[in-house]
Amino acid sequence: MDVRRFRLGISAGVIAIAVVCLSRSTAQQQTVTSRIVGAANSFLGTLDQKQRQSVLYAFDDQDQRKRWSNFPIAMVRRGGISMGEMSGIQRTAVMALLASVLSQRGIEKVQQIMDGDEVNKTTDQGPGGNRGGPGRRGGGPPGNGGPPGGPPPGNGVPPFGAGGRRGGPGNGPMFGKDLYYISFLGTPSVKDPWMLQFGGHHLALNITIAGEHGVLTPTLTGAQPALYTVDGKTVRPLGRESDKALALLNALDENQRKKAILSYELADLVLGPGQDGKTIQPEGLKATEMNERQRAMMLDVISEWAGIINESAAAARMDEIKAGLNDTWFAWSGPTTASPGKNITAYYRIQGPNLVIEYAPQTLGGDPALHVHTMYRDPTNDYGRKFIHP
Amino acid sequence: MKAVLSLGFAALVVLGRPSFAHRLDEYLQATMISVEENQVQLSMRLIPGVAVSGVVLTDIDANRDGVISEEEGHAYAERVLHETSLSLDGRRLSPRLVSATFPRIDDMKEGVGEIRIELTAEFSSLSQPQGDANRKLVFENHHDSAISVYLVNCLAPRDTQIRILSQNRNRNQSFYELDYAQSGAPGGDWLSAWESRLQAAAGNFGGAGNMFRLGMRHIAEGTDHLLFLLVLLIPSPLVSGGSRWAGFAGLQRSLTHILKVVTAFTLGHSITLALAAFGFVVLPSRPVEVLIAVSIFVSAVHAIRPLFPGREPVIAAFFGLIHGLAFAATLGQLGLQRWARLVNVFAFNVGIEAVQLVVVAAILPSLLLLSRTRAYSWFRMGGASFAAITSVGWIAERLLNAGGPVDFMVDAVAQRAVWLAGALFLASVLSWRLLPQPAPENAS
Repeated sequence: MDVRRFRLGISAGVIAIAVVCLSRSTAQQQTVTSRIVGAANSFLGTLDQKQRQSVLYAFDDQDQRKRWSNFPIAMVRRGGISMGEMSGIQRTAVMALLASVLSQRGIEKVQQIMDGDEVNKTTDQGPGGNRGGPGRRGGGPPGNGGPPGGPPPGNGVPPFGAGGRRGGPGNGPMFGKDLYYISFLGTPSVKDPWMLQFGGHHLALNITIAGEHGVLTPTLTGAQPALYTVDGKTVRPLGRESDKALALLNALDENQRKKAILSYELADLVLGPGQDGKTIQPEGLKATEMNERQRAMMLDVISEWAGIINESAAAARMDEIKAGLNDTWFAWSGPTTASPGKNITAYYRIQGPNLVIEYAPQTLGGDPALHVHTMYRDPTNDYGRKFIHP
Repeated sequence: MKAVLSLGFAALVVLGRPSFAHRLDEYLQATMISVEENQVQLSMRLIPGVAVSGVVLTDIDANRDGVISEEEGHAYAERVLHETSLSLDGRRLSPRLVSATFPRIDDMKEGVGEIRIELTAEFSSLSQPQGDANRKLVFENHHDSAISVYLVNCLAPRDTQIRILSQNRNRNQSFYELDYAQSGAPGGDWLSAWESRLQAAAGNFGGAGNMFRLGMRHIAEGTDHLLFLLVLLIPSPLVSGGSRWAGFAGLQRSLTHILKVVTAFTLGHSITLALAAFGFVVLPSRPVEVLIAVSIFVSAVHAIRPLFPGREPVIAAFFGLIHGLAFAATLGQLGLQRWARLVNVFAFNVGIEAVQLVVVAAILPSLLLLSRTRAYSWFRMGGASFAAITSVGWIAERLLNAGGPVDFMVDAVAQRAVWLAGALFLASVLSWRLLPQPAPENAS
């Protein structure tokens, strides 16, 4: 058992309980939004003046709103402050905040994406390249013995100290779970709209809270490696996105497949970062040409994105998506099979009146089953604009 | 120890970087197309991968000073423009460069730099027929094809009168075809009015009715075809006096002459249209387009100084052959079945003819009146010069494959065709009443 993780878990639990008790005592009726605002304020309360300044942006700051990407932070800078710059307590408060905003499977997905980037850090540095030694992060497995210079776990010292930085001049660190940034647009409020952003390499959560509305779009998830092993357990952060879509494709008959499968290749996301506010002409197979079982399967694929956010916001979102289901299209491009236990290597897109989901494997790194970018949008309500300017 | 560490870092930078940077060995070119009532907008995002960014940068930063100057950026964007093509209903559009922005060179080397090029192509609203019309937009991108991957998409149209029917692409998306339906505004221009009337007259011919319509639209949009015919008609009421044009040739002679010219042109383009439609003649469209511009130039010069007096019908027939090849290109794109072709080619040709006759009928009275007056030489010189300049512009544009102001200018004139024809008629009547007339058959 990872000692540090265990301690983090305990502190997260304590803080969560504290947050719950605190808000119980102040609020008569506990709502999802008030819990989130409570968790956000607890986090903000752990910051010093300088940190607060770098983490808070004006609600109408359009540059910060759009400052997200699939790229590592060394290539595209993010706003806010990174996990690596925070103390253990602050990091725990961040995770507690995310736990209040996201669903259980949402937070697991986020953690698996971040853990995957941690794997990148090790492989990227190669044997001997990791100056901190294999045990540097999180104390390591017992008996591995971290180097004497490594920071003791959970002591509040940024782990990206002496040992973490790599590369020559001007070359910041590229990978690792310390390189995920949190920022706020506006101040957390149960009434007025505000935004929470959390992201880094292969992750961009853009969450708008407006009263009891919680909006997750636009959100980017991605993974490389999209399959890795931790403690002998195989992890695929976006595995269900792959498996459920393939199951849907396999549930189509020959005629439906003809419509769903596009005749051309797609090398990347069409509506990735920077492509806000665009609605492309939908293609593929329309849900009106699916049977009930297939429609339910498609909704299940969609829920992998719509269900990242907390249950009440996700339920409202799924209702919207169901209402537009007849105008929702499923399109596929690429191989129609996958190796057992591995991700698909095909691109797919689900598009409806208030929904765009893209799943785009990347050839970069050699095996497209091991590298994927996905995009989740609502062209009518990205950044919650429907609730901000009603 | 230090040396070992540095070596380790060097290896790290070399091995680690490219395997995780975004694009690696491809040049991603994503184009978003937006179709509106009388324009098409193209937004291109060009992102060179790490491995190819050097090649792309060398292309852009021509003087290799590590800075992309405004001129270099502009020149590169123009090159991209030349290596793409855009056509609507078989006619080439000439997009113009609206803006080009370039990322930092360092970002490009990392594979995260995005070049943005915005293009717009306008087309005449003259081409908007009344009622529903099916249109075909084709976009091809051949820029850096050896190292590129392409994405092409169309924005869902905001204009409710435009409805996307289908999109077709080749495997790597370097070829993109968009079929859409466009309903014209009610009470459109003169041509739409004529067209709908003729269309109604054409009745329920089914496919043939559509082809008739397409033929009409093709020549109506094909201002180059009409310009050729009009310029050739200018000297037809005149008799030539050796190396210059002299007076009015007389009503009957003029009429028969005009009839011969129009018929000869029809014969010429019908022959090649039929031959090309059945696959007996295949010519790339670019040389044909250039030759059409040349034909206008020749007939413009002829209108200034007689080159082939009395033999206009022969010339009309000869150039008609070339114009027919261009008509065939439009038909060819429809991919018609062989058995359907005969009827369709005929209907298409009749459609072309109908518009030609409308245009000739509209300006014939003016020509006949005006040619009896001294003002005719001014009109003849003015019209011929306009046609000559336009054709030279077209020749240059089509040879260089460049978009230019010529189409735009001609379209602007064509949009006011009804007013111009009316003004011409008014001027003709006035000149005929007020100006002294040279004696007919006076070849002094």
